[in-house]
Amino acid sequence: MTKIPEVWIFAEHQQNQIEPTVLQLISKAQAIAPTFKVVAVLLEAPDQQLEQTLAAYGPDQILAVKQSQLEQVADVEQAMILQQLVQARQPNSFLFGATALGRSLAPRLQAKLQTGLTADCLDLYFEDELLVQVKPSYGDNIMCEITCPERRPQMATVRPNTFAAVPVEADQVCQEIEVLTDLTWPKVAHFDILNEQVIPTPPASLAQADRIVALGRGAADPASVATARQLTAALNAQLGVTRPLTDDPQFAVSNQIGQSGQTVAPELLFCCGISGAVQFLTGITQAQTVVAINSDAQAAIFGVADYGFVGDAKAFMTALNHALLAKNA
Amino acid sequence: MVELTAAQLMLHQMVQEFSANEVRPHDMAIDRERSFGSDLYRKLVDTGFLGLMLPEQYGGAGFDAVATAQTIYDLAVGNASVAVTLEGHYKTLDQLLKYGQPSLLDRYLPSATQRIFAFSMTEPSGGSDHSTLGSTAVRQGDHWVLNGNKIMITNGGLAEVYCVLVKTAPTEFSVFLVDQDMPGFKFGKQENFLGLTGTPIGEIFMENVVVPADHLLGKVGQGHEIGDNAHADARVLMGAVAAGIIEHELELAVDYAHQRKSGGQRLTDLQAIQRKIADIALAKETTALLYEEAARHKAKGQPYAEIAAMAKTHGSRQAVRAGDDTLQIYAGYGYSLDYPIEHLIRDARALEIAEGTVEKMRAEITQLEVAQRI
Amino acid sequence: MKIVVCLKQVPETNQVKLDPVTHNLIRQGLAGRINPFDRHAVQAALDLKAQVGGEVIVLSMGPNDNEYCLREGLAMGADRAILLSARAFAGSDTLATGYTLSQAIRKIGAVDLAFFGRQAVDADTGQVGPIVAEFLGWPQLTLASQLTWTDQGLQGVRRLGALAQTLAVPLPAVVTATRELNDPGYLQPRQIKAGFQQPILTWNEVDLEADPARLGVAGSPTVVRKILAPQTKTVPTQYLNPDPQAAVAELLTALQAKNLL
Ligand SMILES: Cc1cc2nc3c(=O)[nH]c(=O)nc-3n(C[C@H](O)[C@H](O)[C@H](O)COP(=O)(O)OP(=O)(O)OC[C@H]3O[C@@H](n4cnc5c(N)ncnc54)[C@H](O)[C@@H]3O)c2cc1C
Ligand SMILES: Cc1cc2nc3c(=O)[nH]c(=O)nc-3n(C[C@H](O)[C@H](O)[C@H](O)COP(=O)(O)OP(=O)(O)OC[C@H]3O[C@@H](n4cnc5c(N)ncnc54)[C@H](O)[C@@H]3O)c2cc1C
Ligand SMILES: Cc1cc2nc3c(=O)[nH]c(=O)nc-3n(C[C@H](O)[C@H](O)[C@H](O)COP(=O)(O)OP(=O)(O)OC[C@H]3O[C@@H](n4cnc5c(N)ncnc54)[C@H](O)[C@@H]3O)c2cc1C
Repeated sequence: MTKIPEVWIFAEHQQNQIEPTVLQLISKAQAIAPTFKVVAVLLEAPDQQLEQTLAAYGPDQILAVKQSQLEQVADVEQAMILQQLVQARQPNSFLFGATALGRSLAPRLQAKLQTGLTADCLDLYFEDELLVQVKPSYGDNIMCEITCPERRPQMATVRPNTFAAVPVEADQVCQEIEVLTDLTWPKVAHFDILNEQVIPTPPASLAQADRIVALGRGAADPASVATARQLTAALNAQLGVTRPLTDDPQFAVSNQIGQSGQTVAPELLFCCGISGAVQFLTGITQAQTVVAINSDAQAAIFGVADYGFVGDAKAFMTALNHALLAKNA
Repeated sequence: MVELTAAQLMLHQMVQEFSANEVRPHDMAIDRERSFGSDLYRKLVDTGFLGLMLPEQYGGAGFDAVATAQTIYDLAVGNASVAVTLEGHYKTLDQLLKYGQPSLLDRYLPSATQRIFAFSMTEPSGGSDHSTLGSTAVRQGDHWVLNGNKIMITNGGLAEVYCVLVKTAPTEFSVFLVDQDMPGFKFGKQENFLGLTGTPIGEIFMENVVVPADHLLGKVGQGHEIGDNAHADARVLMGAVAAGIIEHELELAVDYAHQRKSGGQRLTDLQAIQRKIADIALAKETTALLYEEAARHKAKGQPYAEIAAMAKTHGSRQAVRAGDDTLQIYAGYGYSLDYPIEHLIRDARALEIAEGTVEKMRAEITQLEVAQRI
Repeated sequence: MKIVVCLKQVPETNQVKLDPVTHNLIRQGLAGRINPFDRHAVQAALDLKAQVGGEVIVLSMGPNDNEYCLREGLAMGADRAILLSARAFAGSDTLATGYTLSQAIRKIGAVDLAFFGRQAVDADTGQVGPIVAEFLGWPQLTLASQLTWTDQGLQGVRRLGALAQTLAVPLPAVVTATRELNDPGYLQPRQIKAGFQQPILTWNEVDLEADPARLGVAGSPTVVRKILAPQTKTVPTQYLNPDPQAAVAELLTALQAKNLL
């Protein structure tokens, strides 16, 4: 009987937390390769228990290397360990998050294995055992499909937050956890970590913010502004306004979005009580997901919205605050 | 666009990037504050813009007329005042290189990578007509003594070295180099101009300024020729400024007409708007062709005065007109001081006056056509 | 110190279009330029040279017009330039590119440091630096955002998300440069002129003593199968329940599925 092809996922972690992309990749691999064996490959220190997090997303197997040398480890060493595992078990494909570490480690491993690697994929699917990798190029201006027809494993790094991570039902939680404790690898030149520091990302300026709650004249009363400020705190978002609100001394032009204000490019933008004048809209063309809240169903802002709520802005923000509080509690 | 050599292309890419990152973001502030500020000026100097067309032997980069005009264009797309400051400097260096005596050039040109030079002809009594000039130079032994008042000098106040057109006899004109450090040299007031407000434009006074004999450019009596030559050099670059302004207008017009909708249609779908945008694009292309052709002639050593006059005559009017069309596309917003269009029109308007009025240029073009044909 | 900086020439703009019929990239008329990250790599090399002395060599693989990016490296202040150009190199993916560059670095000999950009802005992989490091058996400092030369040797900082690692790297090593590493400023017009007056050495596969099976198309495991225009998303607005509580619940589910919360 031929062996069931395996899809491996490198279980990157940092500060004792699994990198979210790993969980997204487990869910994606299950969806595109239901008949393959999905294996999460984890390198951790003996006192770590990260396989628990992985198991909840239902990979078919977790392959954990638990050794004290893994407390602090260079990319080169991780590549050597993975090389041994791959050569022993011959997976069909090996996926990494396109994170700083993934993009550093995967090509190093690729060169050891002399196989192909596709960078920063936005989609993946199988044609039989051939992995078709869809990646953007030229700054996302074109997409290409890349394959690695001859050599194995087929390797890819995948852009974070491209797929949803879906925890599985209790009865599908991964049971097959294989732990290796006695791997050895040769000593090679590698960097030494002198110091590691978690640097809290400074509050982004409006132009750089990933999340923005923007207020217009339909949400300019003090109660709405106060509700919006709670919302920005809960979402770790920045507050933006339309031009008319800059007459209010609590807002400056640096808070204003639009042609004569800031151009913004958040992943998530709430537009509360904003009509959608062209001078405002030119400032938000780069926003990825737009939620519009306006009492007028005909307002132009709905023309650019992904999600629309026709109704009172303050009521919506209040409900959202409650829901977020409940969720975080 | 003109064929550029690989080195010229690399220069062009650098200047485009400089213009987009360091100049354009300040475009409206430069107009409003009536200055492009010491930071940007420092960056221009430090990046080596002042020595761009100066031969390598004086510490410059030795780029030719084509690359120089392209540079002025690229900067003007960012902001015309910045481009005009360099235009005034380059045209002055051109006259020194052509007419200056070697001893003078060796003393002065190495500093031209660090400080601005200016060329001044205009006086309160007139700009188009030099016969009324009141400034004089009188020979005393192996020196000359200069007196007079010059106005509306591009970079006047910022420039440290001036070439001045003066009378050496009642109907004899000559050009001398004077330095701001010379006793008797004084700055006057800054002009309160409508446009190009970021370019310093000012006045100087000379009271018994004594200069050595080698400060005379060319020969005694060659002043008119040098003045005309300075105009021709300046006009190549003013054509490039005009084309740069039109490119900025075109960018604004297309951008807005594409976004703005009326009656469910984009403005770009309306015939009346299409006519304006097509005209602006045509204006940009014709102006660019003219200044590039003038620059190419100059680089090859062929006559270029007439085509340079055409580039400025055509380009200056087109830049005003294209600005007017752009304003109309933006309508109410175009008329707003919050948008850059109004200052582009004010900037463009200067090009119909500076470096010879369009009337004067038409007269010159006519004379040259007559001379060639009759 | 002998420092090599690898330069890739990329199209001047990323606004490339697809031919609607052939689905080929329309690239004519696009001037090339140096990969923007590679400027930071050159600047880092020059800064290090200014501190410890030595030589900076710029290296590029590609057709003859890649000379242009090498001239830019020279204009920035590199001491000499080597172009790797041969039919045999055409069609290289990152593995073959990495192999070819590593052979050139071997041939240059006694190299202490090889700098790369963090990624090329066209193909966007960022793989070549680590691959070269592997083929040379050198340690790698990827995504360097700071670099200092101390009594103990080379130290650098890289960011892994919120984590900043300070690393000591033994030489010889590979470093990939980010924008944060330094500010290369603008080329001086005079330096541009000077850059065009220097000679450029060209090497082919024979000079590199390369294994032909590892070069170009033959040495490239990946195949670009198809090139597509990205789908422009014109998703219609999804209207939420008119009741605020129900609307919020609906929205949170949708945003979570998109990893936006
Ligand atoms: C030269 C110029 C430059 C400009 N630049 C900018 C700029 O950079 N940025 C900018 O934003 N504007 C700019 N403007 C102004 C722009 O034209 C609009 O006037 C402005 O964007 C409108 O702001 P708004 O949407 O907050 O207000 P309005 O247009 O008054 O819209 C308010 C909206 O709130 C809705 N509403 C009312 N009550 C409620 C409620 N209880 N709950 C929910 N919705 C409610 C209404 O239905 C309406 O749609 C500029 C204008 C000019 C002339
Ligand atoms: C932005 C700017 C920068 C300048 N920079 C400089 C500089 O660096 N150095 C410098 O010396 N000057 C400079 N000038 C001055 C400029 O050269 C003069 O303004 C110009 O030559 C016209 O002179 P004028 O203003 O005295 O007008 P006049 O010469 O008095 O002309 C008045 C009117 O009569 C017309 N006219 C006059 N004579 C004739 C003729 N023969 N044929 C047809 N029409 C005629 C003119 O076209 C104009 O319409 C600058 C001006 C501006 C606006
Ligand atoms: C649309 C498209 C998509 C592609 N996708 C993939 C893919 O997913 N996987 C794959 O293996 N190949 C891929 N390729 C092939 C890849 O672009 C080439 O192998 C290229 O030569 C190197 O890869 P890169 O551009 O990604 O460089 P990167 O690895 O992103 O470049 C990093 C650094 O390496 C150095 N460098 C890169 N190329 C050169 C060079 N030619 N000369 C000198 N230094 C250089 C530079 O310092 C550069 O900053 C793709 C090509 C195209 C056109």
